[in-house]
Amino acid sequence: MRIRFWGVRGSIPAPGPETNRYGGNTSCVSVTTAGGKLVIIDMGTGLMHLGNTLMAREFGKGAGHAAILLSHAHWDHIQGLGFFPPVFIGGNSFTVWGPGGSPKVLEDILEGQMDPNFSPLQTLKNFSATFDVRAAVCGTAFEAEGVHVIAHENPHGATSALSFRLEEAGKVFVYASDVGYPETGPTDAAIAHYRGADVLLHDTTYRPEHQATRRNRGFSSYEDACAAAIAAKVKRLVTFHYDQDYSDDDVDEIVAACQKKLQSHGISVVPAREGDELEI
Amino acid sequence: MKVRFWGVRGSIPSPGRATNRYGGNTSCVEVRPEGAAPIIIDAGTGIRKLGKSLMEDALGDGKGTCSILISHTHWDHVQGLPFFSPLYRAGNQIHIFARQRDMHLEAVFSQQHNAPYFPVPLAAMQAEMSFHELIEGAQFDIGKARVTCARLNHPWVAIAYRIDVDRATVVYCSDTAPFSDMLLGRDFIERPSFGTLPPGTRDELAAMRASVIALARNADLLIYDTQFTPEEYASRPHWGHSRPDDAIEIAREAKVKRVCLYHHAPLRSDDENDAILAHCRELVQGDSFELLSAYEGLEIALGDGK
Repeated sequence: MRIRFWGVRGSIPAPGPETNRYGGNTSCVSVTTAGGKLVIIDMGTGLMHLGNTLMAREFGKGAGHAAILLSHAHWDHIQGLGFFPPVFIGGNSFTVWGPGGSPKVLEDILEGQMDPNFSPLQTLKNFSATFDVRAAVCGTAFEAEGVHVIAHENPHGATSALSFRLEEAGKVFVYASDVGYPETGPTDAAIAHYRGADVLLHDTTYRPEHQATRRNRGFSSYEDACAAAIAAKVKRLVTFHYDQDYSDDDVDEIVAACQKKLQSHGISVVPAREGDELEI
Repeated sequence: MKVRFWGVRGSIPSPGRATNRYGGNTSCVEVRPEGAAPIIIDAGTGIRKLGKSLMEDALGDGKGTCSILISHTHWDHVQGLPFFSPLYRAGNQIHIFARQRDMHLEAVFSQQHNAPYFPVPLAAMQAEMSFHELIEGAQFDIGKARVTCARLNHPWVAIAYRIDVDRATVVYCSDTAPFSDMLLGRDFIERPSFGTLPPGTRDELAAMRASVIALARNADLLIYDTQFTPEEYASRPHWGHSRPDDAIEIAREAKVKRVCLYHHAPLRSDDENDAILAHCRELVQGDSFELLSAYEGLEIALGDGK
């Protein structure tokens, strides 16, 4: 699997020179499978840039297909969809797996974003590409583009967000963004879901002192991410979903703090930066 | 009054090195009459940093008031509102003005704030919020400022605002297509069309154009949607955005003192914006108005308090 980061920011896009190095776009990650297929995880503003790249390939000719895994429907995870050029080319098709418990509920959520009050597209039906919307049932594995995927529901403030475990050819990638564990730390169920991953991408929204005053928002500190990585015995930790007010220098500190905590456990740290790629 | 730009981008925020100088935040302009509460136009992502700056004054103490004029509720004009800090402080009074919709404005804004899209519902905002529904032609006062509205040519309808205060005038015209090729309203239009318009449509567009010129008449500053290059417009007249040439034409007819290019396309780089600005300045060499291009942090003093 080849992983690429298109948007690594949390909550709201954060443009400006202070975010140039890590990037200011909201959550979007692409996974090119060993079989050469495409799985997209979350649809923040980074999705527009992924889409522009895809247009040079089969998606530009209306012959593209990809799976989209959606962790949850907060804006920063869906706001790129209306700006994703492949949806305007007939013949492209997408299978969307996400929360909501039923395809109808998930489709209504996506439809709400295109409401004519908010979007000139007015309805999903005005997309030329086709969408097959499915509910991701937690604990029940499904196949997406030849990858074996298991979803797990993590607490996220007053709601929840799905984490996804992707397994292909003996390699494991886990995407766990927007995670607010109880004060006791990562849950046993979460640890089991991440167990032994080659790469664990984990929410590192906050430094611990900021999380302490904003615990109700349901995000992790880098300490939570490190605790999860150690307990699940993963090989690499990817830091992700940086707070919108954190400058590149602030994120450098988060990355350095993770490296310090994980070094003795033999776990390496890969900071998610827009445009970077990671091979598993 | 002072006019300050906090977000100058259209459609979707565009972070990255290529937009550092003009800025990547979506639409938000602060109008600050001398010694009075701020009047904010549009609540794109630029309103987040404006909110932080306002928290240093009365709004930070829960004793502040501000008014937010919304041109229309497309995402790039409202998406910053949930991140506007003064909403989270009890005692503040926030007035939101926008064009009347099929449902009550509060219900429209609730959709953005409520589950499953955002964790904090509108009803949980600590500030006292009130919603004011407008139609084109409406005229009302915010303190000593007089506000006038006109309709723009945009899908699902946007409105332009004129603010007269401190013996000066600022006019905000975003988002709008030119008033020549297509009439944009409630219907979803899938593809461009050019050519002869039915007389009713032509008349309606001409009347809309005349009301925009009347609105902008003698303004000290006209802020105008110039998202498209002529080439982009040729394939997207149904998207509801103008070209710099359209802004210049309106500025001439309305006899404004300054016109400001605004609502830059998300992928327009700083260098491209520089080139557009240089080209437009050549076009208006013989004109009596000044031509600017909006960037985050640009502040213009007008009238009293200059």
